Amino acid sequence: MTLADISETLAAASRDRRRVAIDGGGTKREWGSLAPAADVTISTRGLNTVIAHRYGDLTATVEAGASLADVNRVLATHGQWIPLDPPHADRATIGGIVATNDSGPRRHRFGAPRDLIIGVEIVRVDGTRAKSGGIVVKNVAGYDLGRLMTGSFGSLALIAQATFKLYPIAPASRSVVVDMDDSGVAERTIAAISGSHLTPTALELQAKPLRLLVRFESIAAAADEQAAALVRLATTDGARAFVVDTAEESALWDAHDARLWQHPGAIIKISCLPTEVMPTMIAIGESLRDVEWDAIGRAGVGVLLLRVGANSARQARIITDLRARFPHGRGSVVIVRGSDELKQSVDAWGAPGDALPLMRAIKRQFDPHALLNTGRGPFGL
Amino acid sequence: MTTDFVERIERIVGRDGILSDPTELLAYESDGLARLREKPSLVVLPKSAEDVQQVVRACHDHGVQFVARGHGTGLSGGALPIPGAVLIALTRLNRILDVDLPNHRIVVEPGVINLDVTRRVAPHGFYYAPDPSSQQICSIGGNVAENSGGAHCLKYGFTVHHVLGLEVVLPNGDLVHVGGSAVDLPGLDLLGVLVGSEGTLGVVTKATLRLLRVAETVRTILAAFDSTEAAGNAVSDIIGAGIIPAAVEMMDRLTVEAAEAAVHPNFPKAEAVLIVELDGTASEVREQFAVVEEICRRRGGTDVLIAQNSDQRARIWKGRKAAFAAMGRVSPNYYVQDGVIPRTKLPDVLRRIRELELRSGLRIGNVFHAGDGNLHPLVCYDETVPGQGALAERVASEILTYCIEAGGSITGEHGVGADKACQMPKMFAPADLDAMLLVRTAFDPRGLCNPGKVFPTPRLCGEVPGPYRQHPVEQAGLAERF
Repeated sequence: MTLADISETLAAASRDRRRVAIDGGGTKREWGSLAPAADVTISTRGLNTVIAHRYGDLTATVEAGASLADVNRVLATHGQWIPLDPPHADRATIGGIVATNDSGPRRHRFGAPRDLIIGVEIVRVDGTRAKSGGIVVKNVAGYDLGRLMTGSFGSLALIAQATFKLYPIAPASRSVVVDMDDSGVAERTIAAISGSHLTPTALELQAKPLRLLVRFESIAAAADEQAAALVRLATTDGARAFVVDTAEESALWDAHDARLWQHPGAIIKISCLPTEVMPTMIAIGESLRDVEWDAIGRAGVGVLLLRVGANSARQARIITDLRARFPHGRGSVVIVRGSDELKQSVDAWGAPGDALPLMRAIKRQFDPHALLNTGRGPFGL
Repeated sequence: MTTDFVERIERIVGRDGILSDPTELLAYESDGLARLREKPSLVVLPKSAEDVQQVVRACHDHGVQFVARGHGTGLSGGALPIPGAVLIALTRLNRILDVDLPNHRIVVEPGVINLDVTRRVAPHGFYYAPDPSSQQICSIGGNVAENSGGAHCLKYGFTVHHVLGLEVVLPNGDLVHVGGSAVDLPGLDLLGVLVGSEGTLGVVTKATLRLLRVAETVRTILAAFDSTEAAGNAVSDIIGAGIIPAAVEMMDRLTVEAAEAAVHPNFPKAEAVLIVELDGTASEVREQFAVVEEICRRRGGTDVLIAQNSDQRARIWKGRKAAFAAMGRVSPNYYVQDGVIPRTKLPDVLRRIRELELRSGLRIGNVFHAGDGNLHPLVCYDETVPGQGALAERVASEILTYCIEAGGSITGEHGVGADKACQMPKMFAPADLDAMLLVRTAFDPRGLCNPGKVFPTPRLCGEVPGPYRQHPVEQAGLAERF
């Protein structure tokens, strides 16, 4: 479908009050609540070009249906990239990544899509096209609809294209693997890193076995020096640490990225304060002795991804228990992948907080007849 | 404004929380954009979030419009009073509520001064990154409203990247919590919309901010060039080398002269002065700094000064940050413009500005955040010369046209406010503005919160051509158009 087709389809659906689903790479269909079936599905895959790569200005405008990997391959010809590394980057589309505000390990240094998006073109439910932001990094003219779209799960409008701030691809990368025997060492090591002058681009925790993966990307001398400094820091506390680079390093990160997704079970995203990552992982370990599980954590950011086997009733109990750990605003527990059964027994999003009426008011303004991706958005938006 | 209403406000904030004496109101007539003035009807000085909530609720109940104001340093008239409206000054909400260094978080009230956040955590090796030139006096609440940047936002981003949570009083008086101390809380990114909404969506009563660890090494270089183009080429080469400096600032001859007269930073007399700052780990900065120095020299940089200690670095920044205020030394009046262009369009746009300078007969100083293409042309004029003020305004407006034609923006950090509301249709189509207004309507259906700012209105800008739209009074069936 072209942009004109999409606009026409939306306008027609809007007139006929038909419910519309938006589809990109299909990598996040299980994220969130069960949504009612739609009457019409719009695929963004026809919108797949890099519209402009302004490498001198470190910005690029890309269409929503292009996969992140394809876009970054184009940008790499000028040594730049959109510094996002969410799961399934080979298939996940720009639109889907923005709509879910999804990110990966490099979130630690570069932020999430909402931190990198500088402009957006949307198609409203009545087919009207509208823009916000622009092609310059610094811009405070008008409301920031680009950020409003990030994390909206397509419940407000269809994202047609987005403009991002880019970063140069670092000339060198080194990763330090820190193996630890107990959680106390892990907690102290993480605290020492975040209190140090080290500037990692990723700081990832693996639960089983307990291991930290810390990435440094810079010029070779700086990456080497930082990696060596971390090895010294980690080994003084009894951990075992070693540096990897080149193919071995890539393989290590590929395995880390695929780690949870290649096995069955529900995947739950937990956000919390950075200092809560390790205690939460410990609590998970203690309460799930009889259940098959695995977890990775973004220790500097405060995000944990937990994969749990077991049956849906047990999964639901785990989710409820985890939610009890976090007062509103200090954490969240969301189902990113889960069975229909699980989603029928526990809410996919958790408690919405006191801003829900406002979110609903925005939904009503953008989509007065609740036709667009309705039920897919957070808290049933 | 009825007596009932004023009495209700007085019951909330007490007698000493209200200003209505004309001499006391004088200070609140304008913000940093002093050429726009309006006498407020009533200034309210709440002491707590609860006070703010009750004041806003009273406004809502009585249908009274209100404007929130921080420390009044804004440069777009965002805090300009509105006739008949209440001005809510948040200066008394000035407490730092919580410092959580292990998580790099701090919770503050909106009246806390930007630099005081850094001062509070500096002894522990942390700082708050957004550093607008007014940081010694501007408030966090104002920074949130304007999505303030500063010299170092090239590498570290704007206020929106450093605010994690907000407590906000909505225009109907509801108190809501948006975001929090954790990231990725599910739901619409209301934080992203509130930050930079210029006080049109609610009143912030608390903000959770992200703190950064001070870098191991900071190095600053200053170089003189015989043209802004040559300095601009150096900037292009630095970015092209894959280096993202912490800051890249450029000043032209006129602004250097002004800064020299005001704060004596000992800058070389040249057509352009470039300041580049790198931060990071020692080895990274060492290697990249050598590249930057080499680029500056290769592109014709002379009088290269490398700050040898923090005093020298502070002096360089004092010279740069004083640039606006210093213009008063070289011109009786000046108009500060704020436009953005894609950085690579710098030579073209500067050439057009020079031509405009010759054509208009008004001197135009240029100081800019060269790394991100944010220009601050300073149009000099003399108010005592009839017509010159109006001419300066036209010249400043024309510069914005150049920015838009280059693919840029009408404001990079000062905001639209009252100043540029009428320029918005130059940058956005009616459909774009309509989509933004959906957000405004969701937050503030009755249009009580800082009305007349950001979006063009027929009253301020004349009838905007386009499809006929019903006035709210017509929508409510209270009036008919003939």
